[in-house]
Amino acid sequence: MIDRIGRRTVGLIQAVGRWGQFMADMVRALPDVTTWGRLALVQMRRVGVDSLPVALFIAAFTGVVLALQASYTFTGTVPLYFVGTLVGKTMMLELGPVLAGLALAGRVGASMAAELGTMKVTEQVDALETLAYDPQSFLVVPRVLAGTVMFPIVVALAVLVGIMTGWMTSLWLLNLSTPEFVKGLRQFYQFKDTWFGLFKSATFGFTITTVGCVVGLSTRGGAEGVGRSTTRAVVYSAVAILVLDAFWAAVLLR
Amino acid sequence: MKRENEFAVGVVVIASFAVVVAGALWLSGAHLGKAEAVYTARFRTVGGLSVGTPVVLRGVRVGRVEGIRLASGNWVEADLKIYSGVTLPQKPAVIAASASLFGEWAATLVPQDQLPDDPNIRQAVAEAAAGAGTKWPGATLPDIGQLTAQASRIATDIGTVANRVQSAFDSEAVAELRRSIRDFGQVAQRLARVTNEQAEVLGSVGTNLRQGSDLLAHSATDLSATLGRVDSATNRGQLATILNNSAATSQDLRTASANLRDLTEAAHKNQESLIRVLVSADTVMSRIANRTGTLGLLVSDSTLYRETTLTMIQLRQLLSDIQANPRKYFTFSVF
Repeated sequence: MIDRIGRRTVGLIQAVGRWGQFMADMVRALPDVTTWGRLALVQMRRVGVDSLPVALFIAAFTGVVLALQASYTFTGTVPLYFVGTLVGKTMMLELGPVLAGLALAGRVGASMAAELGTMKVTEQVDALETLAYDPQSFLVVPRVLAGTVMFPIVVALAVLVGIMTGWMTSLWLLNLSTPEFVKGLRQFYQFKDTWFGLFKSATFGFTITTVGCVVGLSTRGGAEGVGRSTTRAVVYSAVAILVLDAFWAAVLLR
Repeated sequence: MKRENEFAVGVVVIASFAVVVAGALWLSGAHLGKAEAVYTARFRTVGGLSVGTPVVLRGVRVGRVEGIRLASGNWVEADLKIYSGVTLPQKPAVIAASASLFGEWAATLVPQDQLPDDPNIRQAVAEAAAGAGTKWPGATLPDIGQLTAQASRIATDIGTVANRVQSAFDSEAVAELRRSIRDFGQVAQRLARVTNEQAEVLGSVGTNLRQGSDLLAHSATDLSATLGRVDSATNRGQLATILNNSAATSQDLRTASANLRDLTEAAHKNQESLIRVLVSADTVMSRIANRTGTLGLLVSDSTLYRETTLTMIQLRQLLSDIQANPRKYFTFSVF
C-alpha cells in the first residue's frame, strides 16, 4: 500500500516535471518564428475555423435553452426582460467559453493527441529531430499558439450566436419584444463581461492544445497507446477546463 | 492551400474582432463620434451606483456614470458622461436612487430648486453643494434592500406587539371586557334614566318657579295696592289710630293672660286636693278589699252590703251631682 502510494506520488511529481520541461522547451522554441510561423496559420484554420460549426451549433441551442429556462424561472416573479440579462451574462461569462471549450477539447485535443501520438509511435518525431527540426517549434508551438489565439475568436462568435438565438427565442416563443430583450441585455453589462470570457477562452485554448501535445508526444505502445493518449487528452482537457473555470471565477469575479 | 487558410482565418478573426468591439460598444451604450461632456458629482455615498449606470434627466437617459472614486473629506466623486446636445438644468443636482426592485440604479439630474420634498435629500444636497465648486451636489436615496430591511424590522415589531396584545387579551380578558362593556351600558342606561328624571324635576321646578313667579307678580300687585292703601291711610292718620288701639288691646290681652295664669294655678291646687282625696279613697278601698278597717269589715259583713251599696249609690249620686252642678260644690272666680 505504502509502496503504491509512493510510486504514485513519484509518478505525479515526474509528470509535473515533464510538463515543466515541456513548457520550457516550448518557450525556448518561440524565437524560431520561421519554423512555426508558416505552420501556425494551418493550425489556426484547423483549430479555429474548422471548429466553428461545432461551437456555433452548441452555442445556438444553448441560447435557446437559456432563454426558455430563464422564462420558466422568472415568470411570475421577475420581469421577463431579465431573460436578456441572463442570456447575455451567462453566454459571455460561462456557457460560451466552457461549452465551446469542452466541445473543442473533444475535437481539437483528441485530434492533436492522436496525430502527435501517431507521429510519436511511428517515429516521425524522431525523424524530425534527425532532420534537425525542433519538434517543439515544428509541432507544438503552432498548435498551442493557434489554440490560444483562435479559441477566444471561436468563443466570441459562439457567444454572439447564443445571444442571437436567445433573442429569437424570446421574440417568437416568449412574446418578449426586442426592446425588452435588449434592455435586459444591456442592463447590467460591463466590459469586464467581454474580456473575462475571452481571456478565459484563451486560457482554455492554451490548456487544451498543451494537454493534447504533451499527451500526444508522450504516447507509447503503438495504436493502442494512441487510443489511450487520445482518451487521456480529452479527459485531462475537460477536467482542466472545469478547474480553470472555477479558478478564474474565484480570482477575477470576486 | 496556404492562401485558403489565410483567407478563412482572416475572415474569422476579423468577424470575431468586429463582433467583440461592436458588441462591447453597443452593450455599454457608448456613443462613438459624438462629443460627450464629463461632469463630476459628489456624494457622501453612491449607494448602488456603478460604472455604466445610466444618467437620467426627466426620465430620459442622457448619459452614464463613467467613473467612481473616493475623494478627500469623506466624499465620493462620480464622473458623469453626458451626451452632446442635452440641455442641462441651470444648477443641477444628482440623486442616486434604485430604479427598480431588482437592483437597477440610476443617477437622476434635477434642478436644485426642484428637489424632492424630502428633508434628507435637501440636507444631503445642501451639504454636498457647500464648497463643491463646479462639482454637482449629489444625494442618495436608500435602496430597496434598506427599505425592505426597515419594513422587516417594523413588521417584526408589529408582530411582537400583536403577540403581546394576543397574550394580554385572552378569552378571559375578552369576557371581562364584554362584561365591562355590558356594565357600562347598564350604567349609561341608568344615567340616562336619572337624567330624564332630573329633567322632569327641573321641568316641574320650572313650572313651579313660573307659578311662583306669577304669584310673586300677584303679590307684588297686591302689595302695591296695599301699600297704596297704607299710604292713603297714613295720609289720613288712621294708621296711628289703629296702632293706638292695638296697643290698648295688647295691654288688655296681657292682663287677661295674667288672670288666666292665676286661674290655672288655682285649678292646679284643686287638682292636687282631688288627688289627695282620691288617694285617700284608694286607701280606703284597699282596706275594704283587704277586709281591714271599718269598711272592710262592713264589706265582709253581708248584712251591711246593702247599706254599703246604698251608700255607694248615694255616693255616685253625689258625684253625679258634683259633675252636674259643680258650682254647688266648688267656687271659681276669675276676676
